[in-house]
Amino acid sequence: MKLAVMSCIHGNYEALNAVLSDIDAQKADQIYCLGDLVGYGPYPNAVVEMIRSLDIPTCQGCWDEDIVEGLNACDCSYPSQLAEKRGHLAHEWTNQAIHPEVREYLASLPMTLREGNLCFVHGSPNSQHEYLLPTMDGFAALERVLAAEADVLFCGHTHIPYLRELENGTLSVKVQQPGQSETHREFTAPLKRIINAGSVGEPRHGRPNATYVLYDTDSTQVTLREVPYDYEKTCAAIIEQGLPPIFAWRLARGMEFAERAEDAGHVCER
Amino acid sequence: MANWAILSGIEGNLLAYEAVLADIRRQRQPVTDLYILGDLVGLRGDSEAVVRRVRSPQRGESIPQVCTGWWEEQCFSLHGLRGLPDAPELVERYGLGAVKDLWEAVSRETVQWLADLDFGFHELDCLLIHGSTVSYSDELTPETPPITLCDRLIRADANTLFCGRSGLAFEGRVEPGALRSTVTTLDQTAAPQEQGKSPRRVVGVGNVGRAGGAPSYVLYNPGTDQVQFRCVQSSPARGFGAARSKK
Repeated sequence: MKLAVMSCIHGNYEALNAVLSDIDAQKADQIYCLGDLVGYGPYPNAVVEMIRSLDIPTCQGCWDEDIVEGLNACDCSYPSQLAEKRGHLAHEWTNQAIHPEVREYLASLPMTLREGNLCFVHGSPNSQHEYLLPTMDGFAALERVLAAEADVLFCGHTHIPYLRELENGTLSVKVQQPGQSETHREFTAPLKRIINAGSVGEPRHGRPNATYVLYDTDSTQVTLREVPYDYEKTCAAIIEQGLPPIFAWRLARGMEFAERAEDAGHVCER
Repeated sequence: MANWAILSGIEGNLLAYEAVLADIRRQRQPVTDLYILGDLVGLRGDSEAVVRRVRSPQRGESIPQVCTGWWEEQCFSLHGLRGLPDAPELVERYGLGAVKDLWEAVSRETVQWLADLDFGFHELDCLLIHGSTVSYSDELTPETPPITLCDRLIRADANTLFCGRSGLAFEGRVEPGALRSTVTTLDQTAAPQEQGKSPRRVVGVGNVGRAGGAPSYVLYNPGTDQVQFRCVQSSPARGFGAARSKK
């Protein structure tokens, strides 16, 4: 079975349409979405309506959570006060714009989806806000896949697609307790994979094209897809709607250094 | 030369805390730093007296460096200072009656003092914390899966993680063996990288005041990197002897 996995649409209806067309052309059997349907972009309602109409299994992203729960993250979510300020502006705009039934739908989304040995999350199995970066320590990355009780962990949130293969993991623990002899435990892990789906509507890989991934459950082949679309339309709509113009500017560039907390592994408990 | 005493889980047991302080005073190599990794207060004993004692060290005693623990977090929840309201974790674990008991055991003024404590301490290449950086309720034990211990050490960004949540005394040396990581992006497949690391360790510091056992804590010498487990006999009738268990 061929799966298409997408994430981080962020109210970009143009990009979503282009990706859905590409998925159709690739003859995928099933689509999964890893959340962040809203935020940053000008068409949150249309995006949610499209996802719902196609009955695409979707998990909740950090923006979806914030719209439902209200902004309650600490400053860990932003790299600077400037970024935090424009993030709050976008949140307020989205909060005003979305329809009640859209908010209700976002509230109903699960944190995690599963299909056999595959697990689908927005950020990590711990939190929608945690970034699984490709540079993250390999053992920490391996722990996330194991914590999800999966062989393949699909995630988004970073807006940059990648495939990470973790092979031949071994480690040992020697435990000493008072009055007891030392115990020794060995741990080995078979091949585990993290597949980041990138971003449909706010890519940050250095080009403006939308990204998503294809995964063949029979061959386990992974294909990172990059889809051109008319991003200028979305940029114009961002300006027209009164969203911070920098969102249009960086969308046009696939800005690599957009919002990401400095401590990518920090799990906000608020 | 530095010599740290690290303890956790007094849980209102003033007698047990005094026994540990007496044992600390008897050390041939003087203790230079005293760390308390949370759970000063609890349902039993006299939490207010313990907090007063911690806040007022006697002449010659180290000023304790205290971080918050699971019981302090329950107080914050009860008093609406942090986390979810009405202490759902407390109710789940100890029942509804515990809400009233804890409310009466720890005053508002004390809770506000507790709320100003740190979440943990980074000292030298060590992290001293109640649970882990994941959560105050993260319970690391000798049975915790190796990959989880390894992850907590990586998150801690420390060579030694001292923790108190489990109440158990143990030293777990984590030795990452091999791990091959290959990353493919839209633009390239990077050469595989080996992710081996030098050994690190998790140290459970025991507990001072929980019911059903003798007070325990650890001494740590940063100069020699040696951990020494201490188990203190707190019965006044038998004197304050200590069983020493050096790993």
